[in-house]
Amino acid sequence: MAFASLFAPDFPFQAVVRLEPELRSRAIAILAGTPPLARVFATNRQARQLGVETGMTKVQAEAFQDVTWRWRSLSQEESAYAALRDCAWTISPRVQDGARPEGQDFSDTVVLDLAGCEKLFGTPQKIAQDLQRVASEVGFGTNVAVAGNISAAVCAAKGFAGVTVIPAGEEAVHLGTLSLEALRLPFAVVQTLHRWGIRTCADFAALPEIAIVERLGQEGLSWWRLAQGAENKPLIAKDFPCDFEEHMDLDSSVELLEPLLFVLNRLLDQVSTRLRLHILSIAEVKVTLTLERNDSKKKEPIAHVRTLRLPVPTRDGKLLLKLLRLDLEAHPPSSPVTAVSILAVPTKARSQQFGLFLPLSPDPERLEVTLARIQNTVGEGRVGAPVLLDTHGPNSFQQNRFVLPEVNEQHSTNEKRTTAVMRIYRPPLAAAVEFGEGRPTFLSCEGVRRQVLAFAGPWRRKGEWWSETPWAREEWDVEISALRPKVQAGHDVDIESETALYRVYRDLRAKRWFVEGIYD
Amino acid sequence: MKYVELHASSAFSFLEGASRPEDLVSRAKELELPAMALVDRDGVYGSPRFHMAAKSVGIRPHVGAEVSVEGFGNRARPPSWMLNAAPQRPVRLPLLVKNRTGYQNLCRLMTRYKLRETEKGTGTATLKEVAEHAEGLVCLTGGDEGVLSASLSNQGYDEARSQIEKLTTIFGAKNVYVEVQRHSDVAEERRNQAAVRLAERLGLPLLATNGVRYATGAESEILDVFTCIRHHVKLETAGRLLERNDERHLRSAQEMAKLFADLPEAMHNTSELSSRLEYTLADLGYEFPRYPVPAGETMDSFLRKRTEEGLQSRYGAKRDEGLFARAQKQIQRELALIERLHLAGYFLIVWDIIRFCREQNILVQGRGSAANSAVCYSLGITAVDPVGMELLFERFLSEERGEWPDIDLDLPSGDQREKAIQYVYQRYGQLGAAMTANVITYRDRSAAREVGKALGFDRETLDQLSSVVNSGEWRGPSDNFENHFQQVGFDLNHPLVRKYWELCERIQDLPRHLGQHSGGMVVCQGQLDSVVPLEPATMPGRVVVQWDKDDCADMGIVKVDLLGLGMMAVLEECLELIPKHYSKPVDLAQLPPDDPPVYETLCRADTVGMFQVESRAQMASLPRNAPVKFYDLVVQVAIIRPGPIVGKMMHPYMRRRQKREEVSYAHPSLEPVLKRTLGVPLFQEQLLRMAMIAANFTGGEAEDLRRAMGFKRSEERMNEIEEKLRTGMTQNGFSPETQEEIITQITSFARYGFPESHAASFALIAYASAYLKYHYLAAFTAALLNNQPMGFYSPAVLVHDAQLHGLRVKPINALHSEWNCTIEHAVREGKDIPCLRIGFRYVRGMKQMTADKIVFGRQERPFEGVDDFVRRIPDLKKADLVTLSEVGALNSLGEGMHRRTALWQVERAARSAGPLLGAIPEQKELSPLRQMTDEERLVADFHGSGMSTGPHPMSYCRKALSKLQVKRACDLARLPDGQYTRVAGCVIARQRPGTAKGFVFLSLEDETGISNVIVNPDLYEKYRKVINREKFLRVEGVLQNQDHTISIKASRVLPISITSAETQSHDFH
Repeated sequence: MAFASLFAPDFPFQAVVRLEPELRSRAIAILAGTPPLARVFATNRQARQLGVETGMTKVQAEAFQDVTWRWRSLSQEESAYAALRDCAWTISPRVQDGARPEGQDFSDTVVLDLAGCEKLFGTPQKIAQDLQRVASEVGFGTNVAVAGNISAAVCAAKGFAGVTVIPAGEEAVHLGTLSLEALRLPFAVVQTLHRWGIRTCADFAALPEIAIVERLGQEGLSWWRLAQGAENKPLIAKDFPCDFEEHMDLDSSVELLEPLLFVLNRLLDQVSTRLRLHILSIAEVKVTLTLERNDSKKKEPIAHVRTLRLPVPTRDGKLLLKLLRLDLEAHPPSSPVTAVSILAVPTKARSQQFGLFLPLSPDPERLEVTLARIQNTVGEGRVGAPVLLDTHGPNSFQQNRFVLPEVNEQHSTNEKRTTAVMRIYRPPLAAAVEFGEGRPTFLSCEGVRRQVLAFAGPWRRKGEWWSETPWAREEWDVEISALRPKVQAGHDVDIESETALYRVYRDLRAKRWFVEGIYD
Repeated sequence: MKYVELHASSAFSFLEGASRPEDLVSRAKELELPAMALVDRDGVYGSPRFHMAAKSVGIRPHVGAEVSVEGFGNRARPPSWMLNAAPQRPVRLPLLVKNRTGYQNLCRLMTRYKLRETEKGTGTATLKEVAEHAEGLVCLTGGDEGVLSASLSNQGYDEARSQIEKLTTIFGAKNVYVEVQRHSDVAEERRNQAAVRLAERLGLPLLATNGVRYATGAESEILDVFTCIRHHVKLETAGRLLERNDERHLRSAQEMAKLFADLPEAMHNTSELSSRLEYTLADLGYEFPRYPVPAGETMDSFLRKRTEEGLQSRYGAKRDEGLFARAQKQIQRELALIERLHLAGYFLIVWDIIRFCREQNILVQGRGSAANSAVCYSLGITAVDPVGMELLFERFLSEERGEWPDIDLDLPSGDQREKAIQYVYQRYGQLGAAMTANVITYRDRSAAREVGKALGFDRETLDQLSSVVNSGEWRGPSDNFENHFQQVGFDLNHPLVRKYWELCERIQDLPRHLGQHSGGMVVCQGQLDSVVPLEPATMPGRVVVQWDKDDCADMGIVKVDLLGLGMMAVLEECLELIPKHYSKPVDLAQLPPDDPPVYETLCRADTVGMFQVESRAQMASLPRNAPVKFYDLVVQVAIIRPGPIVGKMMHPYMRRRQKREEVSYAHPSLEPVLKRTLGVPLFQEQLLRMAMIAANFTGGEAEDLRRAMGFKRSEERMNEIEEKLRTGMTQNGFSPETQEEIITQITSFARYGFPESHAASFALIAYASAYLKYHYLAAFTAALLNNQPMGFYSPAVLVHDAQLHGLRVKPINALHSEWNCTIEHAVREGKDIPCLRIGFRYVRGMKQMTADKIVFGRQERPFEGVDDFVRRIPDLKKADLVTLSEVGALNSLGEGMHRRTALWQVERAARSAGPLLGAIPEQKELSPLRQMTDEERLVADFHGSGMSTGPHPMSYCRKALSKLQVKRACDLARLPDGQYTRVAGCVIARQRPGTAKGFVFLSLEDETGISNVIVNPDLYEKYRKVINREKFLRVEGVLQNQDHTISIKASRVLPISITSAETQSHDFH
């Protein structure tokens, strides 16, 4: 039995430079968090040598010259890890994700079972070197270790640089020189061991077994075996992926097609390389462009999605790029692009297992088709389920994706219902309001001027004063002759004789009037 | 049309209002409101300030409060789908006070439900209680928080009507006003329409108010931040918990008239109601309790007899006829004044507390200006003879002042002081005595933390910011939020950061919550709860009034300060330990007055652990002042104060003391006053006497002068007094130059000066501490360590200092230690040598009960080993066992046992083996672990007990340091002044006094003592991070060795790596 472990040191940094190899030799710091709370999340060796430390704020770290900044992208890290996993799959069908470093939300290790691989790929040394080479092809600098059990392989890959092959039975000797940190034990256990004066795996491994069980319990025994390189856990294999995704957050938004294609080319290269490792082709490619928001109030990103279904599966990067260029020329994004994702679907068919006892409900696929049809009719972004927001602000709802409600969901009935219903104009109608003696007298809107017959107000609201987008408004309810006729087939309506109740408001910051809506 | 705002809340509604009462008043003045009512939530916390401010600008201050009541349902709540559903709270009734009965009812009502509170701010009155206390009160139906809004929103019009009818039954129809508020909110207007209909149907008057929560609209932002703090949410996610708009500010009559143009009667009724509210706090009805005297006696005669007894015992014992006669005369004078001012009761009550303490063997001593009084001395309240020391009585009490005298009593901190406090409660009843409050306001650090949280900054960032926000006295030009923000790497151009900065500045000094004053007690004849509402304190058995000590003073409530003084507890413990371990009785009153070795120690500034003279600044001046008698010590205690330093008196005095400057007087007539202090005024009493001699002021006038020039100085009043001073001095023939000099001295000094009587009281304690430390080091150090935290130095420094003075300090040991540090005896060369054993109280995290069980357990029979120890003391947690092992406390539990063996064994012993294996015999097992190194031992000692009884960390690297030409602290005295020198050590104190113009003083400790470092402001800015954070420093600079005062003027500060042990430092206090 032999297992290999593939470990990418400084993984967040590698996730970035794999798509921007020209940065590899530079000092890089990865930032995470929302400004102004952005902090250095990860660095590479060069940056550390300059004095940049994780946890520094952006402003502090900016004091260091010659450091290149990149924002952390979870999607980018996710696709990078998938690529690392792909490398393992080139050797063995039995691949397992490594544990996350303590306190982190990413994984940087992949483990693979080498049983039977020797006949196909040669000695463990060669396999390890092949793995390192393959990883390097997809842009990773890695440590690879081969050992008789998973834990020893993982520890060795973390503890020793380059390729390490531990002959069977020599795990304890090899791992002995490593510090306890390489075992990634819980913090409290490391503390206890430090109190005992234990610093290395060899120190730990040298303690008597029964004494360890007496003091640290069965878990302790497992850690002790780990330090000896004798912990034998089975490998829990992962399923092969059904699609391949690559993602890149752009440092600055891209408006022109040419630079965008440059980025797309890099991503397609990566996808193609990964698919090549598995001897697969692309059946469908979906490009998602994240667009810049002009209206910075809303936080959700706008996505411009284009899907290419290829009549013939291919891995030809140039062809794919050409097809994408044509498609994007025909359907250009409406705003500058801030992030690009490519999802490639290999030729494998999707399989789905339905539950035997699930209640009958609309077929989700048919529902998706229906929603897509509605969307085609009413326009993009106009289909969803409205959800009220807890704010005094205007337009205080958000549109969530429509999902089938739970059958047993009950609505509270004892809360009061609103008595008046207002239909909101989106966007609001620009208007002018004339005042006399502090009260509204005339409203002009859509080219007509109406006398205010009755009014109530002003109602004032303000909010988000702490943010970059504070707002304040003064609202009035006014009764005037209707601005627009009601739609009543076959009848001519005398607009002048019909009155309606409108909500008008003044944006106190922009100093402009609008008609917000009409009461039913 | 006139308008009176009758529903305004201040920041004393604690996080529900955003302006100080003073700001509300000044805004009301700008808006020309003739009167205003302060109606804070469940209290009259801000009323004294509101009253004083309003009085000064001629606005009539009405009193009221919003009272939480159950029985009217809960406040209307936002819908349940909202992210931040506000918690259920009962409605609040805004009650306004018509007359003194009403005020007393309001105070009693609030006291009643406040004292029931199990959690702060959750008390509610029952309907029955409200009904019982309704007389003299006017009830409003309230705004958002009120009964009308709640019933209309929750149940509708009919329910609202029935609730209002309930109110009219309780308060009477004439005393219920239907309140209407307009904050440009459509839902509120809907309620207003219902309210108007209701008022009409029920025949009740309407009342327009603005439900004020801040003085101006801009402060609505602060209220939003407070709301977030109150609900523990961020601004971004607070949603509808925040204010809808900024309309709850004070408005002028014109604005309100416009707003209520359709309801003119609601406006008119504000003036009408205001005229009905006759009561103000000027009519508080406070009376100090009468002391119960035997039949046939009056309080005056009883006091006279007690004073006479004291005169005989205290002055009679001195066998000085002249002094006795002078004292007798002085006492007669004082008693006559006390009788005229009807203060005998006050003196007797304080005397009674003293008597109780004496009976209970509690050490007690009066401090402050009371030490000027021969009556206080005779009654045993103070320990300093004011006649012998020629102290000025008028500083304590004068006829002109019309204020209560102030007597502060120092008691041993801890249980003993609590006993005295409980005695006062017991004597005057729970509703007759209470502690004064301490209003906790937002300061730099708390503002930065809480505003930061509200704005959504993460904890780590806030921790970093807190670490750089300076809490020291000195605020240099760089000590502002702008710099602090830059230091933690904030981008000041970011709008959110700018807002953060701005809010931190604006929130300063606003009240956050109510704490308890450390020792101020107020007592009252009759029921104190009818004078001010009382609340339970966090400490069980304590009751607090809603006002702080200044408010109590402003309202004419007399207070007695029962202050806990750590050193008193130390002295008291010494009195127990010395006879037991040295076989010598000791009486603090009979200490040899001028013991030469004690003064020699003081002159060497070898004063670590001594009361008042241990600080860095005191140490620097002691060799110059070179005290040789008690009065020198009185001067020493007083001279390192802002008064003499700001008034530039310290250096002239020191020069004269060292005979480098001739003693001279501004005018020959001042010689008798200033002779004792070599012509330099150092005490407030001297200043008073100077005014009396130079300008013919009476004692009372002179004290009036001091107060006028004190902290609350008024320009007008000062000018008046200065004029009077000049006139007097001109009459006495003082030249204009002399007049100028005297006036400068008086004005610069009045503000910060220290009363001589107070200095003398403190000097007594300082001398006692110095005497005990010198003669009974083991007992003194044990007592000091048992009463931490106190004083200037950490326990580790105290222990090291004691070791340097030859005391053998033994480490914590499971077989010998007790909870407290104790004295053991060793025999060396046939002599009994007392040694100090560190107690379990220094084992991190250990509880006293556990320690006591260890002591009890080993008294039963000795522990056989670790297993036996763990088995027999089941209270010991694993963490305790680990810490005990780490600090070596279990080493005696087995042969050849070292710390790691103990750690190895406790790890097994702490895992329960179950009952089956419970009785197996002790396993003698060898540990496979190696012994700790010196460094590991140091780290373990400091981590586990905050100190080490072994060698000082610096001693381990002395060789290497010597190669770098780094001098030891003890070497510095031999080096010449001006030599460029290097020192290194563990930072034990960092100081930046307010009077030092931004200079920072560091104390570095090495194995031979303490070296002092002076860092100039520029250098500090350069090395700020290193100086503030590093535990060990190497400092290079020029040595200043003048008059036996030694320090290094730093020119370079470097961090050095000595140990990773968690040493402690006393920083910026």
